[in-house]
Amino acid sequence: MATKAYDKSFREEVYQNVDSGEDVKLCMQCGVCGITCPLRDEMTHGPRQLWSLIRAGKRDEVMNSPDIMLCTSCYSCKVRCPRGVKVIDVMHGLAHYALEQGIVPRKETSKFGKAFWDSIYKTGRVDETEVPMRYTMMAGPIHGIFNMLEMMDIGRALLSHKRMKFKIGPGLPPSKKIKGMKGLKKMLNKAKAMSPGKEG
Amino acid sequence: MGQSILVVGGGMSGVSAALEAAEAGYDVVLVEKNPYLGGRVAQLHQYFPKLCPPYCGLEINFKRIKSNPRIKLYTMSEVTGIEGEPGNYKVTINQLPRYVNERCTACGKCADAVEATIPSSFDYGLGQIKAAYLPHELAYPYRYVIDPSIVETEDGAKAKEACPYDAVVLDDAPKETIEEAGAIVWAAGWSPYDASKVEYYNFNSSPDIITNVQMERLAAAGGPTGGKIVKLSNGEAPKKVAFIQCAGSRDVNHLPFCSTICCLASLKQATYVREQLKDAEVTIYFIDIRAMDRNEDFYTKVKADEKISFVKSKIGLIEPGENGVLVLNGENTTTGERFKAEHDLVVLATGMQPNTDLSKIPADMVYDEYGFVQNAEGIFGAGTVRRPGEVHVSVQDGTSAALKAIQVVAGR
Ligand SMILES: Cc1cc2nc3c(=O)[nH]c(=O)nc-3n(C[C@H](O)[C@H](O)[C@H](O)COP(=O)(O)OP(=O)(O)OC[C@H]3O[C@@H](n4cnc5c(N)ncnc54)[C@H](O)[C@@H]3O)c2cc1C
Ligand code: SF4
Ligand code: SF4
Ligand code: SF4
Ligand code: SF4
Repeated sequence: MATKAYDKSFREEVYQNVDSGEDVKLCMQCGVCGITCPLRDEMTHGPRQLWSLIRAGKRDEVMNSPDIMLCTSCYSCKVRCPRGVKVIDVMHGLAHYALEQGIVPRKETSKFGKAFWDSIYKTGRVDETEVPMRYTMMAGPIHGIFNMLEMMDIGRALLSHKRMKFKIGPGLPPSKKIKGMKGLKKMLNKAKAMSPGKEG
Repeated sequence: MGQSILVVGGGMSGVSAALEAAEAGYDVVLVEKNPYLGGRVAQLHQYFPKLCPPYCGLEINFKRIKSNPRIKLYTMSEVTGIEGEPGNYKVTINQLPRYVNERCTACGKCADAVEATIPSSFDYGLGQIKAAYLPHELAYPYRYVIDPSIVETEDGAKAKEACPYDAVVLDDAPKETIEEAGAIVWAAGWSPYDASKVEYYNFNSSPDIITNVQMERLAAAGGPTGGKIVKLSNGEAPKKVAFIQCAGSRDVNHLPFCSTICCLASLKQATYVREQLKDAEVTIYFIDIRAMDRNEDFYTKVKADEKISFVKSKIGLIEPGENGVLVLNGENTTTGERFKAEHDLVVLATGMQPNTDLSKIPADMVYDEYGFVQNAEGIFGAGTVRRPGEVHVSVQDGTSAALKAIQVVAGR
């Protein structure tokens, strides 16, 4: 019977280019990270399976896995991993590396990142009304309005508790800029030059 | 042959070292912390892989000790100081009062007279015993102990009054003795890793989550349930028993090493369950089953039982379910499926922490990163203080430590 050898090149690529990528070697495939993760029901693979796919040379599956951009940085996996694998660092490292390669594994995360970035870039603040509005509108105006209607109850509760200001749309009325906007922009531009992808 | 060999710890390693040295003609001082010999092995129900009661072997050893005038035994004692050098040590021994002298015939009248109870440390806290007690039914020395908590109470007086042999000594006091020895064997053994430290198993949340050492006591005839395996929450027989392997082992946050025996202990305990409860199902959750050399056959045998299944998954969480059921969350690493499995009795297979990690030898010694001791010139580790292992390995190690000790004292 013909056997197919694993493609070793991808794992070497990860060990060399991904932040803490070599930690994947430490994994003993116990499964604790996948169960510890609060997003376990949302994830397609979870960290353990991703490590396994890396070792098996499944480049496309790993680089396109939405899981690597789904991670919320809660650190539970890193705290509990019995082998001391810096799970979260590798997850972020993989996302970073995918973006560098021009792959966007999870569009929503990327868009949210852009909305977040835009808000800071324009006003120096993360505006609780502005960011979700921009984010939902990215799917197109019709889609955006539907999405927002769905979120109306949450919006109302946030308004009544003064956790959010009322706005008709993004920039209406515009948010106040912070004082040192010039200095902040300099920093942001520098960060942008260092980051992979565009608004990752 | 003027110099003696001092052995600390009367478990299988220490007893073996003491006997081998004494039977080779050397004087031995054996110092044991408990009121009895045998160590953790005395608390086991059966030995893997033969499934025989550990007492066969222990009793033969006790007979050898009893008939050998070269062994001087201190129970309820600890070594608090070591001075000197190889060939010439002065060892300070602190002995706690037993409040019962050698006239005791173990008739049990003191226990009948006493009302106070204490948690049974022999049963790993699973049951209560009278505050005047025989450590267990085959204890060596075969003599009662009175707990210090009742000595100054009415119960203490009652015990003294009840004793027909004048064996109760209420004014017994701690004693400090200095023994001279040419070499020392340190065989202080191990402790079960504290399961409550693995917080995601919620060990203290249900009486139906127990440890593997407690399981030995549940199955043992002399244990808190008379040998019946039951759920401690309601006394009923369990229907779905789970074993969680590597509970706090092979884990950088807990014991980073493999204890080598807990897979075998769970395989063995699965047979306890199946022997007693014909309808019970057993699931063993594991990272990988470690059953080396001759023990592999035992694994194969246990695997043949249809009601014992194996799931490759380290359990990541135990949650309470409805009606006291326990829900185990894991990722089956063979199929990739994440699951929630319901069980009514869960056994945590905790590992062996060397006692030298918990309390150090009062001498200048070198330990590895896990607290296992390395041999020095005149002080030798034996058994599970050197590495985790099963009984026959501990016995061999005790023998080898005896030989090293003899080499120090021979001809002096
Ligand atoms: C759940 C479980 C089941 C097991 N089942 C089996 C089995 O079926 N078969 C098998 O081969 N192995 C089994 N083992 C392993 C077995 O228990 C060990 O191999 C054995 O106990 C090792 O003996 P030891 O003398 O090194 O240590 P211990 O048994 O721990 O003895 C050490 C002795 O030293 C004493 N001591 C401690 N500190 C001091 C001190 N400071 N001063 C004086 N004395 C001290 C202790 O009181 C104790 O009496 C099992 C282990 C576990 C966890
Ligand atoms: S918890 Fe750690 S060792 Fe276990 S599967 Fe995840 S990364 Fe690997
Ligand atoms: S840090 Fe990310 S991968 Fe890890 S448990 Fe949290 S969400 Fe899951
Ligand atoms: S102390 Fe006395 S009463 Fe108690 S068991 Fe011993 S002989 Fe009997
Ligand atoms: S013997 Fe088995 S349960 Fe114990 S630490 Fe090793 S692998 Fe884990």
